[in-house]
Amino acid sequence: MMAAHLLALSLLLLVVGIYGVLTRRNIIGILLAVEVILNAANLNFITFARWGGADPVAGSVFPVFVMAVSACEMAVALAIIIALFRQKNNLDVNRLRGLNG
Amino acid sequence: MHEVALIVLSGLLLLFSLAVVVAPNILHAAIALIASFLVTSAIYLQNGAEFAALAQIMIYIGGIVIFMVITVLLTSRLGEENIYFTPTWQRLTGVGVSAALLLVSFLIAARVYRARLVPTTIGPGAIADLDAIGLRLLRSDSEGLALPFELISVLLLISLIGAIVIARKEPAAGKGGAS
Repeated sequence: MMAAHLLALSLLLLVVGIYGVLTRRNIIGILLAVEVILNAANLNFITFARWGGADPVAGSVFPVFVMAVSACEMAVALAIIIALFRQKNNLDVNRLRGLNG
Repeated sequence: MHEVALIVLSGLLLLFSLAVVVAPNILHAAIALIASFLVTSAIYLQNGAEFAALAQIMIYIGGIVIFMVITVLLTSRLGEENIYFTPTWQRLTGVGVSAALLLVSFLIAARVYRARLVPTTIGPGAIADLDAIGLRLLRSDSEGLALPFELISVLLLISLIGAIVIARKEPAAGKGGAS
């Protein structure tokens, strides 16, 4: 019962995050929504570590790897955002067309 | 008792995550993200994952979100400058795609449940204690996680240098030369 509850919660978080990625216009907002999706993935790992997983230790360790990779991603992404803001002075993805084909 | 606590925590988590996604002011969204991470670590604690809960608080709340808040403050005055309102077509597309994803996942879950591919009544398994986690992280045999653990440190170093290089101010045109 609890495992199913946690998995449903994780699925809902994923859907909320995808909605955010699709609807945000500020780049930082999109990054925040990606964090929500990563949170859903971590919740899944922890759920299977506790409920019926074969290897609880690996299930508890993998969220930490996810966090470390996400920290790297954030460092580079926020540096890019700051450089972008200096050049274009806005963060609206609907108006940043520098890489459009 | 546990069930009630879990339902309350799940409701809070969904509420804060929705706030992250829909709050017009990006600074409010970042603060809602902090709250949602705190609730998530409470859920981790409830499920016996102390290590992940503490890492969540220290790395996510103490590091990543604070970093994001600083970036928000650098690029807009208290988040009030760069508020972009989402057009209705984009909002409707988001709702449509999310609802479709939810529907498909629900159908798959129902099918898996009906086919009895997974046991429907799972009891709680063993709790991973901190000793086991630490030993596992530094073991180098086929089940050990020493290689990814060390690779993570190299990755952090690379992204640190990359971030500095990208965000560095361009040297002024008149002076020339890299400083």
